Amino acid sequence: MESEKKTIDIGDGAAIPNPDDPGLFTAWRIAFFGTLGIIAYLLIVHPDPYLEIIKFLPDGIVVTFKVTIASICLALVLGLVAGLGRISHNRAYNLIASTYIEVIRGIPLLVQLFYIYFALGRIVKVPDMIAAIIAMGICYGAYMGEVFRAGIKSIDQGQTEASLSLGFNRTQTMRYVVLPQAWRTILPPVGNEFIALLKDTSLVSIIAVSDILRRGREYASESFLYFETYTLIALIYLTITLILSKLLSIMESRVSHYEQR
Amino acid sequence: MSSVDPIITIRHANKFFGDFQALTDVSLHIDRGEKVVIIGPSGSGKSTLLRTINYLEPIDSGEIIIDGHALTAPNQDINQVRAEVGMVFQSFNLFRHKNVLDNLTLAPIKLKKEPRAQAETRCMELLRKVGMDDKAKSYPIQLSGGQQQRVAIARALAMTPKIMLFDEPTSALDPEMIGEVLEVMTVLALEGMTMAVVTHEMGFAREVADTIVFMDEGQIVETAAPEQFFTNPKNPRAQRFLEQIL
Ligand SMILES: Nc1ncnc2c1ncn2[C@@H]1O[C@H](COP(=O)(O)OP(=O)(O)OP(=O)(O)O)[C@@H](O)[C@H]1O
Ligand SMILES: [Mg+2]
Repeated sequence: MESEKKTIDIGDGAAIPNPDDPGLFTAWRIAFFGTLGIIAYLLIVHPDPYLEIIKFLPDGIVVTFKVTIASICLALVLGLVAGLGRISHNRAYNLIASTYIEVIRGIPLLVQLFYIYFALGRIVKVPDMIAAIIAMGICYGAYMGEVFRAGIKSIDQGQTEASLSLGFNRTQTMRYVVLPQAWRTILPPVGNEFIALLKDTSLVSIIAVSDILRRGREYASESFLYFETYTLIALIYLTITLILSKLLSIMESRVSHYEQR
Repeated sequence: MSSVDPIITIRHANKFFGDFQALTDVSLHIDRGEKVVIIGPSGSGKSTLLRTINYLEPIDSGEIIIDGHALTAPNQDINQVRAEVGMVFQSFNLFRHKNVLDNLTLAPIKLKKEPRAQAETRCMELLRKVGMDDKAKSYPIQLSGGQQQRVAIARALAMTPKIMLFDEPTSALDPEMIGEVLEVMTVLALEGMTMAVVTHEMGFAREVADTIVFMDEGQIVETAAPEQFFTNPKNPRAQRFLEQIL
């Protein structure tokens, strides 16, 4: 399983192309068009076996996206709850949220994945994909919690005081005043986590979820075309993350424009 | 000091930050329609006093009664009392993600369930009053300090408060913008609003105040009518303070 040597290093999603950073911007273009070029070359010049391999993968790509999107939704909810807990004056809530974050961040994602899959499996039989989503969501929720906390903290205390002085309670203040401002700070790191999570979904292939990587492995173990299969898989991951990081940079520049108006 | 119709009554309030006592046995009455200007050296507890009035800082002992509601009563809905006490901050604190009009309408719509159309008409009227109706669709970041502060005053008024608190409303402004804000406050005073104002603008204090409260080291050391306070302060610390600033 040499392809699983990935470390559980989650802070980084991908380098975000940024027009202010011409080096990175150019690098993005080289990487993106280079990747597409190589894929095209392989498919056209060596349709056997690459065309065969790529036909085998779309189901896996769909699964990867499903797991990614469902996990990120769960992580956002957990992250918001945990982030609010971390700054809450309610002792118990604060303690639970902080403990969750500390514990989860101290356990590698792969171990959590096994744990939830096998431990949960002893109590209730959950479908593989659900177990994967729960594990990914819980893990990333802890990271997201810190992102939310930092985002909320970045909003000037005066905003909260003005809101309270108008008669809003703390919850309404969060909802109408703080969070609508905080999301601008939160968006870039959340997008980054999204990309990181997408890459980490490759781990779920271990617990029998048929994502891109597992589909590839199935193909490779039948055809013995390990090198060719993993080459194509790497190129597909790269294409997806490059597109996502581009989208993210476009979104970010929209947001900062809005802020400057 | 006799009080005819107190809207704010503070009795023996004490406030600590850790070991540091920021307010010491502060008692104060403010009558309906009265304009109180609070002055004193930096760190004397002026902001803290204002902030305790709408419970941004809870007091540790004593009593604060706003229009019959004791803030310290166990079942008192603080948010409801706060809605009746408008506050204007030194740093304006307009909601940065909302345009000017939405800054004003947010609280009435969400808290009083006022219909949007009605809230907007009413708030446009308030903006006209502070001379900001032509900027209704602008965002705070596009406005000058003086403009932001006038909007902040209108925002507080949008909740139709019974009392307005001002904590150094002109201290963060460039000198040429101070006048426009003081003018709005003066109009408000003439209309009969109950006001408690912390300021270093002695001209405004002289002209508008019914009562000057002088604070030092967390205590109210002198309470007097402006003519008396500015011409003949009794307390030696007040005398020294006036010598320094006038
Ligand atoms: N949140 C806080 N924590 C600790 N100490 C505080 C806090 N707020 C105020 N203080 C202290 O309480 C004292 C009174 O502060 P306050 O802000 O009320 O003074 P002030 O009269 O408004 O001064 P200034 O004219 O500088 O605004 C100061 O010594 C200040 O350092
Ligand atoms: Mg102050």
